[in-house]
Amino acid sequence: MKAHSLIRSAGFVGLALALHGTAARADADTDLVKRGEYLARAADCVACHTASGGQPYAGGYGIESPLGTIYSTNITPSKNGGIGNYSEAQFDAALRHGIRADGAHLYPAMPYTSYVKLAPDDVKALYQYFMHGVAPVDGAAKATELPFPFSVRLAMAGWNMLFLDKAPFQPDPAKSVEWNRGAYLVEALEHCSSCHTPRNALMAEQSGQAYAGGALGAWFAPNITADPVSGLGGWSESEVVEYLKTGRVPGKAQAAGPMAEAVEHSLQHLSDADLKAIAVYVKDLPAIRDVHDQQPGHVFGSSNSDEATLRGVAGVSASNSAGGAELFSAVCASCHQPAGSGSKDQYYPSLSHNTTLGRGDTRNLIAVILHGVARKADGKDVFMPGFGADSLVNPLSDQQIADVANYTLKQYGNPALKVSAHDVAAAREGGEPPLLAKLPRLMPWLIGGLVVILGLVAWLFGRRRKG
Amino acid sequence: MSDNLSADVVVIGSGVAGALVAHQLASAGASVLMLEAGPRLERWRIVENFRNQADKDDFQRPYPAAKHAPHPEYAPDNDYLILKGPDAKSYASQYLRVVGGTTWHWAASAWRFLPNDFTMKSTYGVGRDWGISYDDLEPYYYRAEVELGVSGPNDGTDLGSPRHQPYPMDHLLLSYNDQRFYDVLNANGFKLVSEPVARNSRPYDQRPTCCGNNNCMPICPIGAMYSGILHVDKAERAGAKLLTNAVVYRLEVDAQDRIVAAHYKDPDGNSHRVTGKYFVLAANALESVKILLMSATDKWKNGLANSSDQVGRNLMDHPGTGVTFLADEPLWPGRGPMEMTSIVDHRDGEFRREWASKKLHLNNQVQTRHATLKALSMGLTGKALDDEIRYRSAHTVNINSFHDILPEPNNRMRLSDQKDALGLPRPEITYAIGEYTKKSAVHTHEAYAKIGKLFGCREIEFNDTFAPNNHLMGSVIMGSDPRDSVVDGHCRAHDHANLYMATSGVMASAGSVNCTLTIAALSLRIADTLKHALGKAS
Repeated sequence: MKAHSLIRSAGFVGLALALHGTAARADADTDLVKRGEYLARAADCVACHTASGGQPYAGGYGIESPLGTIYSTNITPSKNGGIGNYSEAQFDAALRHGIRADGAHLYPAMPYTSYVKLAPDDVKALYQYFMHGVAPVDGAAKATELPFPFSVRLAMAGWNMLFLDKAPFQPDPAKSVEWNRGAYLVEALEHCSSCHTPRNALMAEQSGQAYAGGALGAWFAPNITADPVSGLGGWSESEVVEYLKTGRVPGKAQAAGPMAEAVEHSLQHLSDADLKAIAVYVKDLPAIRDVHDQQPGHVFGSSNSDEATLRGVAGVSASNSAGGAELFSAVCASCHQPAGSGSKDQYYPSLSHNTTLGRGDTRNLIAVILHGVARKADGKDVFMPGFGADSLVNPLSDQQIADVANYTLKQYGNPALKVSAHDVAAAREGGEPPLLAKLPRLMPWLIGGLVVILGLVAWLFGRRRKG
Repeated sequence: MSDNLSADVVVIGSGVAGALVAHQLASAGASVLMLEAGPRLERWRIVENFRNQADKDDFQRPYPAAKHAPHPEYAPDNDYLILKGPDAKSYASQYLRVVGGTTWHWAASAWRFLPNDFTMKSTYGVGRDWGISYDDLEPYYYRAEVELGVSGPNDGTDLGSPRHQPYPMDHLLLSYNDQRFYDVLNANGFKLVSEPVARNSRPYDQRPTCCGNNNCMPICPIGAMYSGILHVDKAERAGAKLLTNAVVYRLEVDAQDRIVAAHYKDPDGNSHRVTGKYFVLAANALESVKILLMSATDKWKNGLANSSDQVGRNLMDHPGTGVTFLADEPLWPGRGPMEMTSIVDHRDGEFRREWASKKLHLNNQVQTRHATLKALSMGLTGKALDDEIRYRSAHTVNINSFHDILPEPNNRMRLSDQKDALGLPRPEITYAIGEYTKKSAVHTHEAYAKIGKLFGCREIEFNDTFAPNNHLMGSVIMGSDPRDSVVDGHCRAHDHANLYMATSGVMASAGSVNCTLTIAALSLRIADTLKHALGKAS
């Protein structure tokens, strides 16, 4: 208990002061709402519960899961379509156990497997914030309609029994207050593992591979364990903080895709003390090494240019075939510079000493070429256009993207890696689907049976417990 | 196969005008077919072409003309345009017949016309009235600015064209060169302003911020500058169908004078026919005229839409003069985009009764190439050569201008006897620049000299020969009287109820600014008219 209160006081001295002082009850409520707002930021609720261009928390954001698109719900306090009718207990059940007020199960796209570790006081503050600090928006968000058998939400009861660890967050008394605060932020609020821990065939996080890196649609959430080669061992604490606060560390990496969203909506808004706590904890995550990795991703490469050998050779032509060097020059070099060195201020980052090209995995390189970068952080509007089918700059073919990716890997990154047109095509479809997503096509009835069995097991278990 | 194609709206031409119409209508649920005479080029290929060409000032070079759909080329000259008359050379225009059209290479200047530009005859007793007013177009100007992504001075700078909303984006910070000019000229009686441009000053519409490659012409390598290809892509994604290499050579008209079909040739010369309810001619001011004239029938002996005999007449451009000198301070042109500021103190006023309005603009193009050519011609070598190149690159000033010109029926385009590879006639142009413009150019020369003095100029060189500025206007001129104009205020042919023209050819005055934003605004207005006609208005 003592550790718990210490953790809280590290982040929320304000509340303690308000309670100890002579402040009126209303002030305490205001403080609670404020604290809830901070917690909601830390939990990054807005990223998933806000549709592009939509009202905050009104839902409708499509989360591309390998099983189909899962739409987030309206979590504004509207009584018509939102969660305005939720009691605090119902809110708690949804948040920490993935069970809606109507008893239906949420899909674990909602990271209740992490939120289950939230402290009761924090749940209370979040409830107050969502009831009193968020503007109500009427109307339910678009409903999620996954294909059978995934449409059977009851199956999640079985899934939860197998994979939902309901144990509350346990501070480690042997570690510092800061470490424990970091652990709470990483494990519960920021739910880092939902992306950075690989998932098994049934889409559950693999506990033995915690933070070793996981797929996220076309993107790859890298290994953030303390391993010096595969993970963040080569990063200083202050570099981790800088990354979380600004979305980039020149000479190492920059946030794109879902991580850019996490920085933009959540991490950059955290207090310096909380960011430091996260860094302390992350730097202490048990190291996991990928045996294929020879050196850290940010070590690879050096600036160099083929520009002089290109000019005048191809001349002026209307035909549209070219190699990677020509494509790189035309598509990348105007911003990243002909030698791949980036701009002086590194707004356009260097391509060498860049984990996107040095890591033992090409998914983020392909994804960033397809989808670009959009990140508002550190007072900067960082943007790189995508070159996928919806590009308004220049849509490139699978082969063109493979060619330019292979060229940049050879010139600036890990030359052992190769990208094929097939890899690009798969990335356009949202990445290689996991086994679970492939199964329906192969043996739909088997999966249906499995779901029924899991459901039955869950039901029996539930009865036995009650009995 | 494509002979059976039919659509609610057939759009001929895929430049900014046609693409905007196509995108609007496809988005509203209409079936849209776009016919483009030229091929599709990818941006990266154009960039590589530019980087591989020796003469960086030849803006047509990265876009090799297709044999079946030639466009003007000047180095070497392909003689596509047959130019005649006392000022023939001054109409040696550049345009592109490729998917996306000529805004692949432009200065991106996105000016609105002035209210008085629309009423030259009634206000100043010269030229013509459009038959529509600035106020009719104002809402469309704003929509065009949003569609193209225009950044401009949101600091209260008055550009003479009243606006109800701020520019979608704030303007870019001025380059050092432009900032110095801004400071010096505005302190000495000139009015120099940061000009509105269709160029991103922040990420906008999935495109990045300008990073100053300084080759807006001939190609923005990163898509920070607007080009018509954007709305071609958007139109296709909204369901419009685009046929490339489809050279329209005839519009077919029925007994009720309605257009029923467009005929086109493929690169092999085979003919095809497509039908539609409405036709939008958006093939630029010259090529659109060509199609109308080639479509002559027994009833329409002078070509379609031509009962007024004005099709192809009233050709206008913005005859330009220039000056180059060495300033007594380093200004380092070449940082940022190629053009950022304009001198606008003679865009409007009573003087327009007597002489042409104009806009002067500072060239911010990097000067190393010209500096190097000059330094080499001086016979320098080694360090002296390097120093001279460096000095000239930093100190060279180049200013150019657009002058208004009045619509004169004798400035005209006809079909030449000379044919292209498909056997279609080439445009033959007769052009003369009148006293109205020449008088103004004398005044411009004096302004150049004054500016030169303010910068302690050396080696001042006036270029008083009128240069073409590729703003092709007047050829299918708008007016309220069908007897002396081709289209009405909604850009609809007086003679054909279902034929619209989305081209700068409809513009009834040239004014003193680039015409692209006005084309875009008129095109959006056409799209609204057609949405209503098709029952697709929301």
